[in-house]
Amino acid sequence: MGSLTEARTSSDEGFLATRLDALINWGRKNSLWPMPLGLSCCGIELMAMIGPRFDISRFGAEAARFSPRQCDLMIVAGTLTWKMAKAARTIYDQMPEPKWVLAMGVCSSSGGMYDSYSVVQGIDSILPVDIYVPGCPPRPDAVIDAILKLQKKIERESPIKNLLAGTEVVEHEGTGVIRRQPNHAVERTELDRHPHSPAARETAVHFGAASPESLRGDDQ
Amino acid sequence: MTAPDPANAAPEAAVDTAPENPTETRVRAALDGLEVSFGAAQDAIVCVEFERELLHTVMERLRDSAGFETLTFVTCVDHLASTATEPRFEVVHQLISLAHGDRVRTRVRLTSDDATLASITDLWPGAGFMEREAYDMFGVRFEGHPNLKRLLMPEGYGHHPLRKDFPQQGIEPDRLYREWDRERRKDWNPKES
Repeated sequence: MGSLTEARTSSDEGFLATRLDALINWGRKNSLWPMPLGLSCCGIELMAMIGPRFDISRFGAEAARFSPRQCDLMIVAGTLTWKMAKAARTIYDQMPEPKWVLAMGVCSSSGGMYDSYSVVQGIDSILPVDIYVPGCPPRPDAVIDAILKLQKKIERESPIKNLLAGTEVVEHEGTGVIRRQPNHAVERTELDRHPHSPAARETAVHFGAASPESLRGDDQ
Repeated sequence: MTAPDPANAAPEAAVDTAPENPTETRVRAALDGLEVSFGAAQDAIVCVEFERELLHTVMERLRDSAGFETLTFVTCVDHLASTATEPRFEVVHQLISLAHGDRVRTRVRLTSDDATLASITDLWPGAGFMEREAYDMFGVRFEGHPNLKRLLMPEGYGHHPLRKDFPQQGIEPDRLYREWDRERRKDWNPKES
């Protein structure tokens, strides 16, 4: 480690660190093992993508594991309900570092057509999503395109440089923002227009918000 | 059938002029002596309406005397939007007779402040899931059900989504997740707690 530090400080760019980063990123991006969380019809397209016709093994991502302990890439394929959200979050927590999340389809990206009491309005409120794929369901080639874009994103990461600098850059949590889809029957809020803007995040309902007793219902 | 007394003569006569329906004849014979009325249904299925105390007796007689051996479904209707009056809920049971090839439907009206009904899981064990769904979605409690828990919504949710006064986007759909998430963050990030 000492020699690495010297190498980093011996030049502005940190030649050895950047070369090591390039090597590690090359290995990581070409061996993305997906965790197929097939929740609805997107799961069928996901199977087609893994199968021989579209064949993501061409890009090193064919080894779909059904144990999160062996996965790098969580593909949330389909409608995530609030009841399922705990399981999805637990699976994500069980995956070893480094890990990435791909939101496949509009349901997992934004809730899609399910403007409903049971559906998470975008999995980014509970998971740190790296890449979104629109479509209902997206074609397998759209997801393959997303995986190629994710590979480009992985190329730009700097694991060794961050390790040496001691910076924590890994995002583990989602936004924690409870989004609502725009309801055109009522006045639209800032959150509806620009759901990712800082102002919208401040005004949005957040996970930390306390739940009023009056809304707890009649169970128990 | 007992002889109609003069007070009931007019409605009885109206029913008698209708064309003979073998299913209705069989159902009337099986339910003889019970206070039931025969309502009209759009799809011409024989439809029996009665008070909720009679439900278990009616179902038992329909199964054992009228030969309706199979339960098709148990479900519920919320009439809040159409009537805005009590009794608000209508629990619907439908039976089918495979031997005779016909069906019968029963309707029971329930008020929202006391939406309880006898369970028929002792007659048809398969009613269990359907009663659980009706409880989950409408809040109708089935007395005598061996395991009346929510079927679709997470346990502890507290609301009944198919009631007409339930908002489409839900009442705090994320509350149970948030409560779980708070505990999870304590486990995974001890610094935050």
